[in-house]
Amino acid sequence: MNAALRDFWLSFSQFAATFGGFQMFSFRLLPYLPKAILRPRLISEQIYSLGALSLVLIMFGGLFVGMVLALQSYNTLAEFGSTESLGAFTSEALVRELGPVVAALLFAGRAGSAVASEVGLMRATDQISALELMAVDPIQRVVVPRFVAGVISVPLLAAIFSAMGVLGAYLVGVHVLGVDVGAFWSQINERVDMHADVGIGLFKSFIFGISASLMGVFEGYNAPPNAAGVSRAATRTVVITSVWILLLDFILTGLTLPKV
Amino acid sequence: MLADNSAANLVEVQDVHYSRNERAVFNGLSLDVPRGKVTAVMGPSGTGKTTLLNLITGQLLPDEGVVLFDGRVVCPCSRRRLYQTRRQMGVLFQHGALLTNLNVFENVAFPLREHTKLPEQLIRQIVLMKLHSVGLRAAWQHMPAQLSGGMVRRVALARALVMDPTLIIYDEPFVGLDPISKGVIVRLIRQTNDALGITSIVVTHDVAETEILADLSYLLSGGKVVAHGTPQDLHKDKSEIVQQFVRGLADGPVPFHYPGADYSAQLRAMAGA
Repeated sequence: MNAALRDFWLSFSQFAATFGGFQMFSFRLLPYLPKAILRPRLISEQIYSLGALSLVLIMFGGLFVGMVLALQSYNTLAEFGSTESLGAFTSEALVRELGPVVAALLFAGRAGSAVASEVGLMRATDQISALELMAVDPIQRVVVPRFVAGVISVPLLAAIFSAMGVLGAYLVGVHVLGVDVGAFWSQINERVDMHADVGIGLFKSFIFGISASLMGVFEGYNAPPNAAGVSRAATRTVVITSVWILLLDFILTGLTLPKV
Repeated sequence: MLADNSAANLVEVQDVHYSRNERAVFNGLSLDVPRGKVTAVMGPSGTGKTTLLNLITGQLLPDEGVVLFDGRVVCPCSRRRLYQTRRQMGVLFQHGALLTNLNVFENVAFPLREHTKLPEQLIRQIVLMKLHSVGLRAAWQHMPAQLSGGMVRRVALARALVMDPTLIIYDEPFVGLDPISKGVIVRLIRQTNDALGITSIVVTHDVAETEILADLSYLLSGGKVVAHGTPQDLHKDKSEIVQQFVRGLADGPVPFHYPGADYSAQLRAMAGA
Protein backbone atom coordinates (compact mmCIF):
# COMPACT_ATOMS: atom_id res chain seq x y z
CA MET A 1 0.00 0.00 0.00
CA ASN A 2 2.84 2.31 0.96
CA ALA A 3 4.62 1.50 -2.28
CA ALA A 4 1.46 2.26 -4.28
CA LEU A 5 1.04 5.58 -2.48
CA ARG A 6 4.69 6.44 -3.04
CA ASP A 7 4.39 5.61 -6.75
CA PHE A 8 1.26 7.74 -6.99
CA TRP A 9 2.98 10.62 -5.22
CA LEU A 10 6.05 10.34 -7.49
CA SER A 11 3.85 10.28 -10.61
CA PHE A 12 1.87 13.27 -9.36
CA SER A 13 5.06 15.23 -8.53
CA GLN A 14 6.45 14.43 -11.95
CA PHE A 15 3.22 15.56 -13.63
CA ALA A 16 3.17 18.78 -11.56
CA ALA A 17 6.81 19.50 -12.44
CA THR A 18 6.18 18.93 -16.16
CA PHE A 19 2.99 21.00 -16.11
CA GLY A 20 4.76 23.81 -14.26
CA GLY A 21 7.66 23.59 -16.71
CA PHE A 22 5.22 23.79 -19.62
CA GLN A 23 3.65 26.95 -18.20
CA MET A 24 7.05 28.54 -17.55
CA PHE A 25 8.11 27.66 -21.09
CA SER A 26 4.91 29.19 -22.52
CA PHE A 27 5.47 32.44 -20.61
CA ARG A 28 9.11 32.46 -21.72
CA LEU A 29 8.01 32.54 -25.36
CA LEU A 30 5.75 35.59 -24.97
CA PRO A 31 8.39 38.36 -25.04
CA TYR A 32 9.89 36.86 -28.20
CA LEU A 33 6.68 36.97 -30.23
CA PRO A 34 6.84 40.68 -31.26
CA LYS A 35 10.50 40.21 -32.33
CA ALA A 36 9.55 37.20 -34.45
CA ILE A 37 7.60 39.45 -36.80
CA LEU A 38 10.86 41.24 -37.65
CA ARG A 39 12.17 38.05 -39.28
CA PRO A 40 9.27 36.88 -41.46
CA ARG A 41 11.53 34.67 -43.58
CA LEU A 42 12.17 32.29 -40.67
CA ILE A 43 8.41 31.97 -40.15
CA SER A 44 7.62 31.52 -43.85
CA GLU A 45 10.22 28.72 -44.10
CA GLN A 46 8.51 26.93 -41.23
CA ILE A 47 5.03 27.55 -42.68
CA TYR A 48 6.27 25.76 -45.78
CA SER A 49 7.78 22.90 -43.81
CA LEU A 50 4.93 22.44 -41.32
CA GLY A 51 1.91 23.71 -43.24
CA ALA A 52 2.50 23.40 -46.97
CA LEU A 53 4.03 19.94 -46.66
CA SER A 54 0.95 18.81 -44.69
CA LEU A 55 -1.39 19.91 -47.50
CA VAL A 56 -1.66 16.57 -49.31
CA LEU A 57 -2.57 14.74 -46.09
CA ILE A 58 -5.07 17.45 -45.11
CA MET A 59 -6.71 17.60 -48.56
CA PHE A 60 -6.92 13.83 -48.85
CA GLY A 61 -8.30 13.56 -45.31
CA GLY A 62 -10.87 16.34 -45.89
CA LEU A 63 -12.09 14.88 -49.17
CA PHE A 64 -12.71 11.42 -47.74
CA VAL A 65 -14.21 12.63 -44.46
CA GLY A 66 -16.67 14.72 -46.52
CA MET A 67 -17.51 11.75 -48.77
CA VAL A 68 -18.07 9.41 -45.80
CA LEU A 69 -20.11 12.04 -43.99
CA ALA A 70 -22.38 12.43 -47.05
CA LEU A 71 -22.85 8.68 -47.36
CA GLN A 72 -23.61 8.24 -43.66
CA SER A 73 -25.98 11.18 -43.30
CA TYR A 74 -27.90 10.64 -46.56
CA ASN A 75 -29.91 7.68 -45.24
CA THR A 76 -30.87 9.43 -42.03
CA LEU A 77 -31.92 12.57 -43.92
CA ALA A 78 -33.87 10.42 -46.42
CA GLU A 79 -35.98 9.01 -43.56
CA PHE A 80 -37.18 12.54 -42.87
CA GLY A 81 -37.45 13.47 -46.52
CA SER A 82 -34.87 16.20 -46.28
CA THR A 83 -32.03 14.98 -48.49
CA GLU A 84 -31.76 18.53 -49.92
CA SER A 85 -30.28 19.51 -46.54
CA LEU A 86 -27.30 17.21 -47.16
CA GLY A 87 -25.06 20.13 -48.20
CA ALA A 88 -25.95 22.28 -45.19
CA PHE A 89 -25.68 19.34 -42.77
CA THR A 90 -22.24 18.20 -43.93
CA SER A 91 -20.92 21.76 -44.28
CA GLU A 92 -21.93 22.76 -40.76
CA ALA A 93 -20.42 19.59 -39.32
CA LEU A 94 -17.23 20.15 -41.26
CA VAL A 95 -16.81 23.88 -40.69
CA ARG A 96 -17.69 23.90 -36.99
CA GLU A 97 -16.35 20.55 -35.78
CA LEU A 98 -14.66 18.11 -38.07
CA GLY A 99 -12.49 20.60 -39.96
CA PRO A 100 -10.81 22.20 -36.92
CA VAL A 101 -10.57 18.97 -34.89
CA VAL A 102 -9.44 16.48 -37.54
CA ALA A 103 -7.10 18.98 -39.23
CA ALA A 104 -5.47 19.72 -35.86
CA LEU A 105 -5.16 15.98 -35.07
CA LEU A 106 -3.57 15.35 -38.48
CA PHE A 107 -1.28 18.36 -37.97
CA ALA A 108 -0.20 17.03 -34.57
CA GLY A 109 0.57 13.65 -36.13
CA ARG A 110 2.49 14.97 -39.13
CA ALA A 111 3.98 18.32 -38.14
CA GLY A 112 3.83 18.38 -34.31
CA SER A 113 5.80 15.14 -34.06
CA ALA A 114 8.23 16.40 -36.73
CA VAL A 115 8.88 19.61 -34.75
CA ALA A 116 9.42 17.64 -31.53
CA SER A 117 11.86 15.25 -33.24
CA GLU A 118 13.72 17.99 -35.10
CA VAL A 119 14.20 20.24 -32.06
CA GLY A 120 14.97 17.20 -29.86
CA LEU A 121 17.61 16.01 -32.33
CA MET A 122 19.08 19.51 -32.50
CA ARG A 123 19.60 19.30 -28.75
CA ALA A 124 20.96 15.73 -28.90
CA THR A 125 23.48 16.69 -31.60
CA ASP A 126 24.65 19.84 -29.74
CA GLN A 127 23.12 22.19 -32.32
CA ILE A 128 21.16 24.01 -29.59
CA SER A 129 24.34 24.35 -27.50
CA ALA A 130 26.22 25.54 -30.60
CA LEU A 131 23.63 28.29 -31.10
CA GLU A 132 23.98 29.32 -27.43
CA LEU A 133 27.76 29.48 -27.81
CA MET A 134 27.46 31.52 -31.00
CA ALA A 135 25.49 34.00 -28.86
CA VAL A 136 22.30 33.17 -30.76
CA ASP A 137 19.26 32.61 -28.55
CA PRO A 138 17.81 29.20 -29.55
CA ILE A 139 14.35 30.16 -28.29
CA GLN A 140 14.26 33.10 -30.67
CA ARG A 141 15.96 31.36 -33.60
CA VAL A 142 14.53 27.82 -33.38
CA VAL A 143 11.50 27.66 -31.11
CA VAL A 144 9.49 30.82 -31.81
CA PRO A 145 9.45 30.60 -35.65
CA ARG A 146 8.14 27.01 -35.44
CA PHE A 147 5.52 27.97 -32.88
CA VAL A 148 4.26 30.99 -34.83
CA ALA A 149 4.26 29.01 -38.09
CA GLY A 150 2.13 26.30 -36.45
CA VAL A 151 -0.35 28.85 -35.08
CA ILE A 152 -0.73 30.39 -38.57
CA SER A 153 -0.84 27.05 -40.41
CA VAL A 154 -3.50 25.16 -38.44
CA PRO A 155 -6.46 27.54 -39.16
CA LEU A 156 -5.49 27.61 -42.84
CA LEU A 157 -5.23 23.83 -42.97
CA ALA A 158 -8.57 23.50 -41.17
CA ALA A 159 -10.19 25.80 -43.75
CA ILE A 160 -8.73 23.74 -46.61
CA PHE A 161 -9.83 20.52 -44.86
CA SER A 162 -13.40 21.83 -44.59
CA ALA A 163 -13.44 23.04 -48.21
CA MET A 164 -12.23 19.64 -49.44
CA GLY A 165 -14.82 17.98 -47.19
CA VAL A 166 -17.62 20.02 -48.77
CA LEU A 167 -16.25 19.07 -52.19
CA GLY A 168 -16.27 15.38 -51.17
CA ALA A 169 -19.84 15.67 -49.90
CA TYR A 170 -20.83 17.38 -53.17
CA LEU A 171 -19.27 14.62 -55.29
CA VAL A 172 -21.01 11.85 -53.36
CA GLY A 173 -24.25 13.71 -52.65
CA VAL A 174 -24.87 15.18 -56.11
CA HIS A 175 -23.11 12.79 -58.48
CA VAL A 176 -23.60 9.47 -56.66
CA LEU A 177 -26.72 9.83 -54.51
CA GLY A 178 -28.58 12.19 -56.84
CA VAL A 179 -29.20 15.17 -54.57
CA ASP A 180 -30.25 18.25 -56.54
CA VAL A 181 -27.21 20.42 -57.21
CA GLY A 182 -29.09 23.71 -56.74
CA ALA A 183 -30.57 22.55 -53.42
CA PHE A 184 -27.16 21.34 -52.24
CA TRP A 185 -25.43 24.71 -52.72
CA SER A 186 -28.37 26.96 -51.85
CA GLN A 187 -28.88 25.17 -48.51
CA ILE A 188 -25.22 25.71 -47.71
CA ASN A 189 -25.54 29.36 -48.66
CA GLU A 190 -28.61 29.75 -46.47
CA ARG A 191 -27.57 27.78 -43.40
CA VAL A 192 -23.84 28.25 -42.99
CA ASP A 193 -23.20 31.56 -41.24
CA MET A 194 -19.92 33.38 -41.72
CA HIS A 195 -19.64 34.49 -38.11
CA ALA A 196 -21.41 31.74 -36.16
CA ASP A 197 -20.01 28.79 -38.14
CA VAL A 198 -16.91 29.75 -40.12
CA GLY A 199 -15.70 32.26 -37.51
CA ILE A 200 -16.08 29.81 -34.64
CA GLY A 201 -14.42 27.06 -36.66
CA LEU A 202 -11.45 29.32 -37.33
CA PHE A 203 -11.32 30.41 -33.68
CA LYS A 204 -11.24 26.78 -32.56
CA SER A 205 -8.51 25.86 -35.01
CA PHE A 206 -6.48 28.88 -33.85
CA ILE A 207 -6.66 27.57 -30.26
CA PHE A 208 -5.81 24.03 -31.45
CA GLY A 209 -2.89 25.47 -33.44
CA ILE A 210 -1.50 27.08 -30.28
CA SER A 211 -1.85 23.78 -28.37
CA ALA A 212 -0.28 21.58 -31.06
CA SER A 213 2.63 23.93 -31.81
CA LEU A 214 3.40 24.70 -28.20
CA MET A 215 3.44 21.03 -27.26
CA GLY A 216 5.74 20.15 -30.17
CA VAL A 217 8.35 22.80 -29.36
CA PHE A 218 8.11 22.20 -25.59
CA GLU A 219 8.60 18.45 -25.85
CA GLY A 220 11.40 18.79 -28.41
CA TYR A 221 13.26 21.52 -26.55
CA ASN A 222 13.11 19.62 -23.26
CA ALA A 223 13.74 16.14 -24.66
CA PRO A 224 16.57 14.15 -23.05
CA PRO A 225 19.49 14.31 -25.53
CA ASN A 226 19.41 10.69 -26.69
CA ALA A 227 17.50 8.48 -29.15
CA ALA A 228 14.96 7.30 -26.56
CA GLY A 229 14.36 10.90 -25.42
CA VAL A 230 13.67 12.16 -28.94
CA SER A 231 11.36 9.26 -29.71
CA ARG A 232 9.49 9.83 -26.44
CA ALA A 233 9.15 13.56 -27.22
CA ALA A 234 7.53 12.81 -30.59
CA THR A 235 5.14 10.27 -29.07
CA ARG A 236 4.20 12.52 -26.18
CA THR A 237 3.54 15.41 -28.56
CA VAL A 238 1.02 13.39 -30.56
CA VAL A 239 -0.67 11.77 -27.56
CA ILE A 240 -0.90 14.83 -25.32
CA THR A 241 -1.89 17.17 -28.17
CA SER A 242 -4.64 14.79 -29.31
CA VAL A 243 -6.09 14.54 -25.82
CA TRP A 244 -5.84 18.32 -25.39
CA ILE A 245 -7.54 19.01 -28.70
CA LEU A 246 -10.46 16.69 -27.91
CA LEU A 247 -10.83 18.14 -24.42
CA LEU A 248 -10.59 21.73 -25.64
CA ASP A 249 -13.07 21.00 -28.42
CA PHE A 250 -15.64 19.85 -25.89
CA ILE A 251 -15.12 23.00 -23.80
CA LEU A 252 -15.13 25.38 -26.78
CA THR A 253 -18.20 23.70 -28.33
CA GLY A 254 -20.04 24.06 -25.02
CA LEU A 255 -19.11 27.73 -24.84
CA THR A 256 -19.90 28.61 -28.45
CA LEU A 257 -22.98 26.48 -29.21
CA PRO A 258 -25.80 28.74 -30.44
CA LYS A 259 -28.95 28.81 -28.25
CA VAL A 260 -32.00 27.23 -29.85
CA MET B 1 47.71 41.87 -9.39
CA LEU B 2 44.58 40.96 -11.37
CA ALA B 3 45.53 43.37 -14.14
CA ASP B 4 49.00 41.80 -14.44
CA ASN B 5 47.60 38.28 -14.66
CA SER B 6 44.86 39.16 -17.09
CA ALA B 7 47.42 40.86 -19.32
CA ALA B 8 49.28 37.57 -19.59
CA ASN B 9 46.34 35.18 -19.35
CA LEU B 10 43.17 35.31 -21.40
CA VAL B 11 41.33 32.79 -19.20
CA GLU B 12 41.84 32.26 -15.49
CA VAL B 13 40.06 29.56 -13.51
CA GLN B 14 40.45 30.40 -9.84
CA ASP B 15 39.71 27.88 -7.08
CA VAL B 16 36.58 26.53 -8.77
CA HIS B 17 34.37 24.03 -6.95
CA TYR B 18 31.58 22.38 -8.90
CA SER B 19 29.32 19.43 -8.00
CA ARG B 20 26.79 17.53 -10.06
CA ASN B 21 24.20 15.21 -8.50
CA GLU B 22 26.00 15.61 -5.15
CA ARG B 23 29.25 14.33 -6.75
CA ALA B 24 32.15 16.76 -6.64
CA VAL B 25 33.54 17.28 -10.15
CA PHE B 26 36.04 20.00 -9.19
CA ASN B 27 37.56 20.59 -5.75
CA GLY B 28 39.39 23.88 -6.00
CA LEU B 29 40.48 23.75 -9.64
CA SER B 30 42.83 26.54 -10.72
CA LEU B 31 44.47 27.02 -14.09
CA ASP B 32 45.56 29.83 -16.39
CA VAL B 33 45.38 29.98 -20.16
CA PRO B 34 48.12 32.28 -21.50
CA ARG B 35 47.32 34.57 -24.42
CA GLY B 36 48.44 33.50 -27.86
CA LYS B 37 49.29 29.93 -26.80
CA VAL B 38 47.76 26.51 -27.38
CA THR B 39 46.82 25.10 -23.99
CA ALA B 40 45.81 21.46 -23.71
CA VAL B 41 43.50 20.27 -20.95
CA MET B 42 43.89 16.52 -20.60
CA GLY B 43 42.66 13.86 -18.26
CA PRO B 44 41.06 10.43 -18.12
CA SER B 45 37.42 10.12 -19.21
CA GLY B 46 35.00 11.45 -16.62
CA THR B 47 37.41 13.93 -15.03
CA GLY B 48 35.28 16.92 -16.02
CA LYS B 49 37.10 18.23 -19.10
CA THR B 50 33.85 19.08 -20.88
CA THR B 51 32.45 20.49 -17.63
CA LEU B 52 35.44 22.84 -17.54
CA LEU B 53 34.62 23.91 -21.10
CA ASN B 54 31.04 24.60 -20.02
CA LEU B 55 32.27 26.68 -17.07
CA ILE B 56 34.59 28.75 -19.27
CA THR B 57 31.78 29.44 -21.76
CA GLY B 58 29.30 30.33 -19.02
CA GLN B 59 26.97 27.40 -19.68
CA LEU B 60 27.49 26.32 -16.07
CA LEU B 61 27.92 28.41 -12.94
CA PRO B 62 30.63 27.32 -10.44
CA ASP B 63 29.47 26.56 -6.88
CA GLU B 64 32.51 28.46 -5.61
CA GLY B 65 35.39 30.31 -7.23
CA VAL B 66 35.43 32.33 -10.45
CA VAL B 67 36.23 31.95 -14.12
CA LEU B 68 37.71 35.10 -15.68
CA PHE B 69 37.78 35.82 -19.39
CA ASP B 70 39.91 38.80 -20.35
CA GLY B 71 39.92 39.87 -16.70
CA ARG B 72 36.13 39.81 -16.31
CA VAL B 73 33.95 37.25 -14.55
CA VAL B 74 32.18 35.07 -17.15
CA CYS B 75 29.20 34.05 -15.05
CA PRO B 76 27.00 35.10 -13.27
CA CYS B 77 26.05 38.06 -15.41
CA SER B 78 23.18 39.23 -17.60
CA ARG B 79 22.34 37.25 -20.73
CA ARG B 80 23.31 40.25 -22.87
CA ARG B 81 26.80 40.44 -21.33
CA LEU B 82 27.25 36.68 -21.47
CA TYR B 83 26.41 36.77 -25.19
CA GLN B 84 28.88 39.65 -25.68
CA THR B 85 31.57 37.51 -24.05
CA ARG B 86 30.65 34.50 -26.17
CA ARG B 87 31.02 36.54 -29.36
CA GLN B 88 34.72 36.66 -28.53
CA MET B 89 34.85 32.87 -28.24
CA GLY B 90 34.64 30.18 -30.86
CA VAL B 91 33.83 26.63 -29.80
CA LEU B 92 34.50 23.56 -31.90
CA PHE B 93 32.26 20.75 -30.71
CA GLN B 94 33.32 17.11 -30.58
CA HIS B 95 31.12 16.22 -33.57
CA GLY B 96 31.01 19.66 -35.18
CA ALA B 97 27.38 20.48 -34.29
CA LEU B 98 26.73 21.94 -37.74
CA LEU B 99 23.15 23.01 -38.41
CA THR B 100 21.89 20.08 -40.45
CA ASN B 101 19.32 22.05 -42.46
CA LEU B 102 21.94 24.47 -43.83
CA ASN B 103 24.68 23.76 -46.37
CA VAL B 104 28.38 24.31 -45.67
CA PHE B 105 28.36 27.92 -46.90
CA GLU B 106 25.29 28.87 -44.88
CA ASN B 107 26.67 27.18 -41.76
CA VAL B 108 29.82 29.29 -41.92
CA ALA B 109 27.85 32.42 -42.82
CA PHE B 110 25.38 31.81 -39.96
CA PRO B 111 27.11 33.87 -37.21
CA LEU B 112 27.70 36.75 -39.67
CA ARG B 113 24.06 36.79 -40.70
CA GLU B 114 22.91 36.67 -37.08
CA HIS B 115 25.24 39.29 -35.64
CA THR B 116 26.12 41.67 -38.46
CA LYS B 117 24.41 43.57 -41.24
CA LEU B 118 27.24 43.08 -43.72
CA PRO B 119 26.35 43.20 -47.43
CA GLU B 120 25.91 39.85 -49.11
CA GLN B 121 28.99 40.26 -51.27
CA LEU B 122 31.23 40.80 -48.24
CA ILE B 123 29.69 37.82 -46.43
CA ARG B 124 30.45 35.72 -49.51
CA GLN B 125 34.07 36.84 -49.54
CA ILE B 126 34.61 36.23 -45.80
CA VAL B 127 32.97 32.80 -45.87
CA LEU B 128 34.92 31.63 -48.92
CA MET B 129 38.15 32.90 -47.33
CA LYS B 130 37.46 30.96 -44.12
CA LEU B 131 36.49 27.85 -46.06
CA HIS B 132 39.66 28.20 -48.14
CA SER B 133 41.74 28.38 -44.96
CA VAL B 134 40.39 24.97 -43.87
CA GLY B 135 40.72 23.55 -47.40
CA LEU B 136 37.00 23.18 -48.10
CA ARG B 137 36.19 26.10 -50.37
CA ALA B 138 35.12 23.71 -53.12
CA ALA B 139 32.67 21.93 -50.80
CA TRP B 140 30.64 25.08 -50.09
CA GLN B 141 27.41 23.64 -51.52
CA HIS B 142 27.55 20.32 -49.66
CA MET B 143 25.11 19.50 -46.89
CA PRO B 144 26.58 18.37 -43.52
CA ALA B 145 25.30 14.81 -44.09
CA GLN B 146 27.52 14.57 -47.21
CA LEU B 147 30.73 15.31 -45.28
CA SER B 148 33.15 12.96 -43.48
CA GLY B 149 33.84 13.42 -39.74
CA GLY B 150 37.08 15.30 -40.42
CA MET B 151 35.43 17.59 -42.97
CA VAL B 152 32.58 18.36 -40.56
CA ARG B 153 35.13 19.49 -37.98
CA ARG B 154 36.95 21.63 -40.53
CA VAL B 155 33.69 23.36 -41.49
CA ALA B 156 32.92 23.83 -37.79
CA LEU B 157 36.38 25.38 -37.38
CA ALA B 158 35.68 27.78 -40.26
CA ARG B 159 32.39 28.70 -38.58
CA ALA B 160 34.12 29.18 -35.20
CA LEU B 161 36.66 31.49 -36.89
CA VAL B 162 34.26 33.55 -38.95
CA MET B 163 33.64 36.18 -36.25
CA ASP B 164 37.41 36.51 -35.60
CA PRO B 165 37.29 35.40 -31.94
CA THR B 166 40.09 35.94 -29.42
CA LEU B 167 39.68 32.44 -27.96
CA ILE B 168 38.91 29.12 -29.62
CA ILE B 169 37.98 26.09 -27.56
CA TYR B 170 38.30 22.66 -29.15
CA ASP B 171 36.30 19.91 -27.43
CA GLU B 172 37.90 16.52 -28.20
CA PRO B 173 38.82 17.53 -31.77
CA PHE B 174 40.57 14.22 -32.61
CA VAL B 175 37.91 11.71 -31.52
CA GLY B 176 37.00 9.19 -34.21
CA LEU B 177 39.31 10.61 -36.88
CA ASP B 178 41.70 8.69 -39.14
CA PRO B 179 45.43 9.58 -38.89
CA ILE B 180 45.31 11.87 -41.95
CA SER B 181 42.33 13.82 -40.64
CA LYS B 182 43.99 14.05 -37.22
CA GLY B 183 47.10 15.47 -38.88
CA VAL B 184 44.98 18.00 -40.78
CA ILE B 185 43.23 19.14 -37.60
CA VAL B 186 46.53 19.40 -35.66
CA ARG B 187 48.00 21.53 -38.46
CA LEU B 188 44.89 23.72 -38.66
CA ILE B 189 44.79 24.35 -34.91
CA ARG B 190 48.47 25.32 -34.85
CA GLN B 191 48.29 27.44 -38.00
CA THR B 192 45.11 29.20 -36.91
CA ASN B 193 46.58 29.98 -33.53
CA ASP B 194 49.85 31.35 -34.90
CA ALA B 195 48.58 33.13 -37.99
CA LEU B 196 45.67 34.89 -36.32
CA GLY B 197 47.35 35.41 -32.94
CA ILE B 198 44.42 33.92 -31.05
CA THR B 199 44.40 31.76 -27.94
CA SER B 200 43.41 28.10 -28.09
CA ILE B 201 42.22 25.61 -25.50
CA VAL B 202 42.23 21.98 -26.63
CA VAL B 203 40.24 19.65 -24.41
CA THR B 204 41.51 16.18 -25.25
CA HIS B 205 42.88 12.86 -24.05
CA ASP B 206 45.09 12.25 -27.08
CA VAL B 207 48.63 12.33 -25.72
CA ALA B 208 50.45 11.98 -29.06
CA GLU B 209 48.64 14.89 -30.76
CA THR B 210 49.00 17.07 -27.67
CA GLU B 211 52.78 16.59 -27.68
CA ILE B 212 53.00 18.00 -31.20
CA LEU B 213 50.45 20.73 -30.71
CA ALA B 214 50.39 22.20 -27.22
CA ASP B 215 52.55 24.90 -25.70
CA LEU B 216 51.22 24.12 -22.26
CA SER B 217 49.36 21.10 -20.86
CA TYR B 218 47.23 20.60 -17.81
CA LEU B 219 46.40 17.14 -16.55
CA LEU B 220 43.19 16.90 -14.51
CA SER B 221 42.31 14.11 -12.14
CA GLY B 222 40.12 13.87 -9.05
CA GLY B 223 38.72 17.36 -9.62
CA LYS B 224 42.12 19.11 -9.55
CA VAL B 225 45.14 19.83 -11.71
CA VAL B 226 47.63 17.06 -10.92
CA ALA B 227 50.35 18.20 -13.31
CA HIS B 228 51.05 21.03 -15.70
CA GLY B 229 53.83 22.27 -17.92
CA THR B 230 55.00 21.61 -21.45
CA PRO B 231 54.11 18.17 -22.86
CA GLN B 232 57.77 17.20 -22.31
CA ASP B 233 57.50 18.21 -18.63
CA LEU B 234 54.52 15.89 -18.29
CA HIS B 235 56.53 13.00 -19.70
CA LYS B 236 59.26 13.62 -17.12
CA ASP B 237 56.76 13.85 -14.22
CA LYS B 238 57.24 10.83 -11.95
CA SER B 239 53.83 10.81 -10.26
CA GLU B 240 51.84 7.62 -10.74
CA ILE B 241 48.74 9.25 -12.20
CA VAL B 242 50.74 11.20 -14.78
CA GLN B 243 52.72 8.12 -15.79
CA GLN B 244 49.56 6.01 -16.03
CA PHE B 245 47.91 8.57 -18.29
CA VAL B 246 50.92 9.41 -20.47
CA ARG B 247 51.93 5.75 -20.95
CA GLY B 248 48.33 4.50 -21.22
CA LEU B 249 48.58 1.90 -18.43
CA ALA B 250 45.42 -0.13 -17.79
CA ASP B 251 45.71 -0.13 -13.99
CA GLY B 252 47.02 2.37 -11.49
CA PRO B 253 45.58 5.31 -9.58
CA VAL B 254 42.69 5.11 -12.06
CA PRO B 255 41.70 1.49 -11.28
CA PHE B 256 40.81 -1.12 -13.90
CA HIS B 257 37.91 -2.35 -11.75
CA TYR B 258 35.00 -0.07 -11.06
CA PRO B 259 35.08 0.60 -7.29
CA GLY B 260 32.68 -1.62 -5.37
CA ALA B 261 32.33 -4.40 -2.79
CA ASP B 262 34.92 -7.15 -2.46
CA TYR B 263 34.44 -9.92 -5.06
CA SER B 264 34.06 -12.77 -2.54
CA ALA B 265 31.72 -10.68 -0.38
CA GLN B 266 29.56 -9.98 -3.43
CA LEU B 267 29.45 -13.69 -4.37
CA ARG B 268 28.43 -14.62 -0.82
CA ALA B 269 25.80 -11.89 -0.73
CA MET B 270 24.33 -12.98 -4.08
CA ALA B 271 24.34 -16.66 -3.05
CA GLY B 272 22.54 -15.70 0.16
CA ALA B 273 19.97 -13.69 -1.77
